[in-house]
Amino acid sequence: MIVTRKALSRRTILRGLGAAVSLPFLDAMTPAFAASTMPGGRPVRAAWFYVPNGIDMRHWTPAEEGPLGTLPGILAPLEPMKKDITILSNLTANWGRPLLVGAGDHGRAAAAYMTGMEVYRTAGADLKVGMSGDQVIANAIGNQTKLPSLEVGLEEARMAGNCDNGYSCAYAYNLAWKTETQPLPPISNPRNLFERLFGTDIAEAPAAHARRLAMRKSILDQVLGDTQKLESNLGTADRRKLDQYLTSVREIEQQVERSEKDGMVIDPGMEKPYGVPPEFPDYFRLMTDMMLVAFKADLTRVATCMIGREGSTRAYPEIGVPDGHHPLTHHMGNMAMLDKVREINSLHMKLFAEFLAKLKATKEGDSNLLDQSMIIYGSGISDGNVHTHDQLPTILAGRGDNFVSPGRHIIYQRETPVANLFATMAERMGVRPEHVGDSTGRLPGLSLS
Amino acid sequence: MQFNGKQPLGVVYNTSMSRPDAALNLALLYGFAGKREARIGSVCVSGAGLGAAIFCDIVAQFYTPGPPHNANQTLPTGLAAVVPLPDDSPMVRAAVEKKNDKGQPLYPRTVSRISDTSLAEAVLRNGVIYNAEAVVVLSAPAADLARTLGLQGTRELYKQRVKLLVLVDAGAKQDAVALRRLLAEWPTPIMLCGKAVGEALLFPAAVIAKDAKEFSWAPANPVLDAYRAFRTMPYDAPCWDLAATLYAVHPDHAFFETDAGTIQVADDGAITFAAGAGPHKALRADPAKRDKIMALLVELASAKPAQPQQRVRPPQQDVKTPPAKPAGQ
Repeated sequence: MIVTRKALSRRTILRGLGAAVSLPFLDAMTPAFAASTMPGGRPVRAAWFYVPNGIDMRHWTPAEEGPLGTLPGILAPLEPMKKDITILSNLTANWGRPLLVGAGDHGRAAAAYMTGMEVYRTAGADLKVGMSGDQVIANAIGNQTKLPSLEVGLEEARMAGNCDNGYSCAYAYNLAWKTETQPLPPISNPRNLFERLFGTDIAEAPAAHARRLAMRKSILDQVLGDTQKLESNLGTADRRKLDQYLTSVREIEQQVERSEKDGMVIDPGMEKPYGVPPEFPDYFRLMTDMMLVAFKADLTRVATCMIGREGSTRAYPEIGVPDGHHPLTHHMGNMAMLDKVREINSLHMKLFAEFLAKLKATKEGDSNLLDQSMIIYGSGISDGNVHTHDQLPTILAGRGDNFVSPGRHIIYQRETPVANLFATMAERMGVRPEHVGDSTGRLPGLSLS
Repeated sequence: MQFNGKQPLGVVYNTSMSRPDAALNLALLYGFAGKREARIGSVCVSGAGLGAAIFCDIVAQFYTPGPPHNANQTLPTGLAAVVPLPDDSPMVRAAVEKKNDKGQPLYPRTVSRISDTSLAEAVLRNGVIYNAEAVVVLSAPAADLARTLGLQGTRELYKQRVKLLVLVDAGAKQDAVALRRLLAEWPTPIMLCGKAVGEALLFPAAVIAKDAKEFSWAPANPVLDAYRAFRTMPYDAPCWDLAATLYAVHPDHAFFETDAGTIQVADDGAITFAAGAGPHKALRADPAKRDKIMALLVELASAKPAQPQQRVRPPQQDVKTPPAKPAGQ
């Protein structure tokens, strides 16, 4: 018997005017007799979720090192995923500290956390910090995907102005730094993110773009021809998989459209751009659903999500917290304020857990997206009341394709740079940086094998 | 960190905590801190067990009781956590294991396990980063300090901020490879405090005696416990580390003579100093200054911990209290 089947390219894209929809992993992308493996090896993804203003650490850190028992209060939403997460304690972002410069902890924290470098104090254009951990990876392997990296934010980015004691807002609003002077602003508008993922590299004529939006024409309609052609060459299982995937893309598109309608009614207490869902949980879900699709379709393997800019004053009326987040974290021991901080921390964690569950439910070959990923959830501040930058809250979710042995709490020596974790992740992604910021080496003990 | 005047010099102390002069040197550092002549940048234990790190932490808690005034200004004790860790010496165990009447540890501590200590190379580097101007006193195997030279930007950092590295040679064999690297790559002046210097300066046993007035301000002191446990009392301990620190903090006070030359390391880790033209210097004790130096060392090492300085608002001249605003405004 002669095998003539030719594998479908992993890079197959459904194209149409102003649209380019990448595909999830399909069986047809594997050579014959190799249905359980992926061509070129299974891709590993890395993502960072940054939460501002620290955490109520009393309800974060498990009491014991080793296998995870009952999780502390804030982490409770992760209970069903306990075997998929690793809690890392005692990591430090030294350059977030006041050191010789003084106040400005929120101004420094996010940039120092992601880069492991000194944050040059300026409110002007002469920004200087370092290359962030995600970009160390993206700069090396970003050419393998449509997007080298994806930057998502849940607050509209500001690139200028003095946000904290002489530190530029660019430091507080950006996680990704492509170079020491060039931040990559996160996309906070759902429509813009959708278009980034599914628009073509060739710009659609503005008039045509506006006409498509005005007619509420789906991006899937644009690629209908390619879709039908592809379907005719797929088996039953792949057709079902493709249909599910395109349905999920359409659902996201519809959510974006709904948000644009709803966006006319804006919470008067919070400045929101057009098209952002009024309720924060809906906003989080919509944006992270798109991150999920980006990973699923292998549009990128590196992503960051700024849950709130460092120093965020966002209120959370959805959970009965009308106060600003940052002011609440300066609770001075006031238990009522601390309780509200914990509520906010718990909401963020609940939404993050939902995202992880979706990753886990997304099959990829004989694995799933969560097992193929290393997802960091953390902050450059631990105690928001006194601005500590050591003993940082850090979760590593996923296995990085059999690299991490999760389900444990690992306590490192204090002062261990959080950049050691980023350097370790980079190495797992096939990048071998000599340093990531102030890293002193790799983080031991992530794998038990 | 805000100071009205010039910031005190930061001292980064890399110690094996294996001799009584090392224990006394911690007390000396707090004595300097009390006079605001220096501050502790960081303390890192290399070549010793967890007990040595606990001991350093006990001394830190003893000399700076209460919660840290600013959690961002105090670095936990570092420990080179090699596997397996060396056994703890009787000297440190004497303080670490000392119990009160209720059978509980006598001296409060924040370190009880390895993860309570700091990563050695990080705490050595960060101790310099904390200070505009620093000195490093190395009285331990050189491996950890040498390793910091390979960290991104650290050599430049040392070049900018570290005035001096003082290398203590108390006769113990060094890590030859690491020390050679350190000597070759260290970007600022290196001073050797050799064996003869410490032996010329002996800490008087009478000051350590139970009825001595110098330490009478506390009923128990971990530094004295360590000193007394090191050897059968009474004995006068050579002051290698104290001499090194004294010079590092006050190099311009003419406490010592200095000779130019080259520090050499034999394959077995023995250190020698070849006087003459060379990139290094070595301290030389002047017998005529011995009494003056010892009086100063005793005074500083036995000083009662200074109360933390109160932040006092400068007097406000011609400022009148504004009238209270009516409610609602």
